[in-house]
Amino acid sequence: MWKVTVKGILTHKLRLALTGLAIVLGVTFISGTLVLTDTLHNTFTSLFGNVYQHVDFQVRSKAAFTSNSAGGGAVRTPVPESVAGTVRAVPGVAYAEGSVSGYAQFVAPDGKAISTGGAPTLGVSFDPNPELSSLRVVAGHAPGSTHEIAMDEGTATKYHFHVGERVAVLLTGRPQTFTLSGIVRFGSAENLAGATLAVFDLPTAQSVLGKVGQYDAIDVLATPGADKAAVERAIARALPPGTEVVTGQTVAQEQSNSINQGLSFFSTALLVFAFISLFVGGFTIFNTFSITVGQRTRELALLRIVGASRRQVFRSVLLEAAVLGVVASIVGLGLGVLAAIGLEALLKGFGITLPAGPLVFLPRTVVVALVVGIGVTVVSAISPARRAVAIPPVAALSDQHEEQGESSRRRIAVGGVIAAVGVAALVVGLSEQAIALVGIGAVAIFLGIGMLAPVVARPMASVLGRPLALFGISGRLGRENSMRSPRRTAQTSAALMVGLALVSTIAVFGASLSKSATSSVDEAISADYIITASASGTGGFSQSVAPAAAVKGAAAVSTVYGGEFEFDDVVSNLTAVSTEHLADTVILRVEQGSGAPALAAGDLLIDTTTAATKHLSVGSSVAVTFAKTGSSTMKVGGIFKPNALIGSYLVSDAYFLSHFDDPLPVAVLVRSAPGATGVGAALDRGLRSYPNLQVQTRAQFEQSQQAQVNQLLGLVYALLALAVVIALIGIVNTLMLSVFERTHEIGLLRAVGMRRRQVRAMIRSEAVILALFGAIIGVVIGTGLGVAFADSLQQQGITDLVIPVASLVVFLVLSGLLGLGAASWPARRAARLDVLAAISAE
Amino acid sequence: MPVVLDIGLDIGAGVARRAHTCSTWCLGAATMSGSALQQPGAEGQHHMALDETVAPAPVALAAARAVGLEKTYGKGDSAVHALAGITVEFGRGEFTAVMGPSGSGKSTLMHCMAGLDTPSAGATFVGDQEVSRLDEAGLTRLRRDRIGFVFQSFNLVPTLTARENILLPVDLAGAKVDEDWFDFLVGQLGIGDRLSHRPTEMSGGQQQRVACARALIRRPDLVFADEPTGNLDSNAAGEMLGFLRHSARELGQSIVMVTHDPRGAAYAGRVVFLADGTIVGDMSDPTAESVLEQMKQLGT
Ligand SMILES: Nc1ncnc2c1ncn2[C@@H]1O[C@H](COP(=O)(O)OP(=O)(O)O)[C@@H](O)[C@H]1O
Ligand SMILES: [Mg+2]
Repeated sequence: MWKVTVKGILTHKLRLALTGLAIVLGVTFISGTLVLTDTLHNTFTSLFGNVYQHVDFQVRSKAAFTSNSAGGGAVRTPVPESVAGTVRAVPGVAYAEGSVSGYAQFVAPDGKAISTGGAPTLGVSFDPNPELSSLRVVAGHAPGSTHEIAMDEGTATKYHFHVGERVAVLLTGRPQTFTLSGIVRFGSAENLAGATLAVFDLPTAQSVLGKVGQYDAIDVLATPGADKAAVERAIARALPPGTEVVTGQTVAQEQSNSINQGLSFFSTALLVFAFISLFVGGFTIFNTFSITVGQRTRELALLRIVGASRRQVFRSVLLEAAVLGVVASIVGLGLGVLAAIGLEALLKGFGITLPAGPLVFLPRTVVVALVVGIGVTVVSAISPARRAVAIPPVAALSDQHEEQGESSRRRIAVGGVIAAVGVAALVVGLSEQAIALVGIGAVAIFLGIGMLAPVVARPMASVLGRPLALFGISGRLGRENSMRSPRRTAQTSAALMVGLALVSTIAVFGASLSKSATSSVDEAISADYIITASASGTGGFSQSVAPAAAVKGAAAVSTVYGGEFEFDDVVSNLTAVSTEHLADTVILRVEQGSGAPALAAGDLLIDTTTAATKHLSVGSSVAVTFAKTGSSTMKVGGIFKPNALIGSYLVSDAYFLSHFDDPLPVAVLVRSAPGATGVGAALDRGLRSYPNLQVQTRAQFEQSQQAQVNQLLGLVYALLALAVVIALIGIVNTLMLSVFERTHEIGLLRAVGMRRRQVRAMIRSEAVILALFGAIIGVVIGTGLGVAFADSLQQQGITDLVIPVASLVVFLVLSGLLGLGAASWPARRAARLDVLAAISAE
Repeated sequence: MPVVLDIGLDIGAGVARRAHTCSTWCLGAATMSGSALQQPGAEGQHHMALDETVAPAPVALAAARAVGLEKTYGKGDSAVHALAGITVEFGRGEFTAVMGPSGSGKSTLMHCMAGLDTPSAGATFVGDQEVSRLDEAGLTRLRRDRIGFVFQSFNLVPTLTARENILLPVDLAGAKVDEDWFDFLVGQLGIGDRLSHRPTEMSGGQQQRVACARALIRRPDLVFADEPTGNLDSNAAGEMLGFLRHSARELGQSIVMVTHDPRGAAYAGRVVFLADGTIVGDMSDPTAESVLEQMKQLGT
């Protein structure tokens, strides 16, 4: 029986290659993601390992709590300078020096602020001890005075900075200009994972980064030959409360962990899309195997007659799938490595230069790729294999083997139940915010609808094909062909259905998000101008912006801060707005208690959602923890309606400033005086020395919010495109199989006078119907899913529900066109059939 | 006329089946007396058998037999009685032809006897094994190990070479190839030079000879051939039939062949005539002329 299977595989190489392509692409995606993130992981781990290899200990304040943001790490406050002296006095300590880091952003020669693709723009102090410094000077010399600065090699190369030139830098205080004294590398890398580095000598760094008299950490070297464990204990004993000593290894570990945490978020996101692709690929496999089992009915029955057992037939189909899965997974694995190399180059193109390191190809990658690739293929083939087993031996002797109507009725029942369970899981998952349940629900819905689709396939194909039928015999035959086997039509388009469903879900969700973003701006902000950093990754901008924004004609200027604190033992985001001008710049709908007066009294304001979920009311006292000031209790002074700008927790700016170290404003809001003109221009002029900022009217701000949403959507569409491509491969595959199956019939049509062009048109018509069928069902499901998602996130700020009809129609039209494209190869093949050979075919 | 007691063989079987067994014997008797026409379903005989509770069953000689075999397709008004109570035995080492007009139930009889189809009533045996009692796995083993098949068309797996097609039942059984037997069959059938060819690269006659070799490779108890010459020209058909006759005579191979060609039937040692799902005649040592004559008499 192996022989039959193997021969079958060898005979149908092309068909299997097409089928396998679906798996190849999915596995490529998975293994590429794994190789890339493993490589990055390894690179960063060894980078930090190298950087800290000579640091024996680090002294720092104890972590207040761990940040919520991806890769954020522990939130700490600086330690007083005096701690360094304490450490130096400990016997066994050879050297101890403090370091600081903070916000510093370069301005390019063209006057624009240099921003990264999300990585921080860092200002750091330079440690002159070469053993301790993570920075290596590769040109010029280290900064040695208040006028000097060094720059990372990545930025210098990209923006053509040379030693000796003047460089403008944006800081927490006023912008300043320095002389570029040298170029540095971070360990062996041009920069730190895409972050820009502005390097100052220690006192300058302390002053420009807002850490006068403070160190973020103190690096310590033990005397050679000293018992390190003893030295560590001695330092720990000498330290004031609230500070701690850890080994260099620990710091390296923590730093690479925090970067890797960010990476794992990235890889999880990519893997989700990889699995979507494989899921769609599974439909394609299922469909191809179903068709080929159907086409091989007589052969399989013959095998049964000459003595093949049911189990042998079952295993033969599964073996074919397994071989396909193995080959496709191995090819996918290979391509995945290439993809990882390509992606790394792409990242480099985006300015994220990575330290040189070997490509990491873990056994885990091989195992995951093979298990998933083979697993999906084999599981998808189980149902067709069972159908093969059900073929009675006599089927070899009769011309057609009718499928029982009963099985189709059972399929409808099973499909209905699965779809219903899926909907239930989805609803529960959405209301309970259980993402896994939502995923399972969506998968079940797709499977269930896939099983139900054959019921509507014939009538829908008939309706969809009607316009095509008007074009003559080719269209009519194409329509007939698509109606001939409703099951096949439905199965073929199932993959496209899933793809389109996901795309439509995103479209509905995105349109709602985008609309909500705009309307929430209107409902949250009453200021006329909004000043924000034009690029992400900076964490904010200088505190001296707000005073500069008080231009002529500006009636009210308020600063918005954001930071993390622990509320009720949960790390949460806290917002602060200048109390003075609160009413003029922010729309705060206070439901209970008061707004500005409560803020002025140092109370906390929370939104209604939080009040409801945490059972809080005005006057409740809550436990809070700040990194700088530690734990305390706050009084709830007011409860406001959810506000997109503020979020859930609001305090006054004064309170915020006293509980955070040198916080950066995230926005400045300006309300112009009644009748004042030219305020925008005045702001632009007043803020000329802050090229990192953008001054936007509310309308412009709304637009940029929308643009951000759209950018994200574009990325998601791009990732989903692979799933759609796989679905199209499925259509190509089915059409090829159909052409092959109908060789005789097509030959006959040609013999009685059908022209090649007409043959092509016939196949194309069928393809368009197939594609539209899948697309329509997909768009309908996707719209439903999108509405469900958007609806469930009402509390999270998706207040408006928008169904982007135009986009959905575009998707349908595109699907039809893609179907047309998918048909081109099979159509050519059908048109090229040799008439004589086709007619004499069995 | 050997009379064997039924008891030892079929203890569990119902009384009705014994009654049918009786008709086998009755038919056998009628055949021996040369009478072509029989009424095996006659009520009187059934009652007689029931009363006597003892029935002769010439099992020892039969490669396969059917007892009171009925097969009805469909239900109610549209029901087709493809087999309307057939009792017949096919002798061991015998080459039997089954003849009858199209639609008379020849293929159905063969399918039921080979366990490819399930009878509506009655029983079939291969050797002493009651086919209808076998489960799926048993039927698979039966087909694989004890029965060989040759059909009119679509006999071979298109992706396999001739050699692989012939050895398919051996492979499926996971058994060792009897190379001598293989060489012998291939030599006898004259397909030694075609062994590496695919079915599409062979003539119909060659394909059919490959199918023949495959049917015999496991040395089955019985070969069923359903119009094996139906798609062949007269030369190829002659060779095929000659080989089948030779297999029966020289190798003692039991063969049941369905045909509607009197000249083909003449190669057999015995001809059973079928019409409307019943056996209407039985003839030993047929010639083309005698078969034709019989068919004329039966009005087919
Ligand atoms: N699967 C089936 N369903 C319904 N009727 C059938 C089926 N197979 C055979 N028949 C009917 O049973 C009768 C006997 O058929 P068959 O045994 O194939 O005849 P033969 O082989 O002698 O030509 C015919 O009337 C045929 O139409
Ligand atoms: Mg027949």
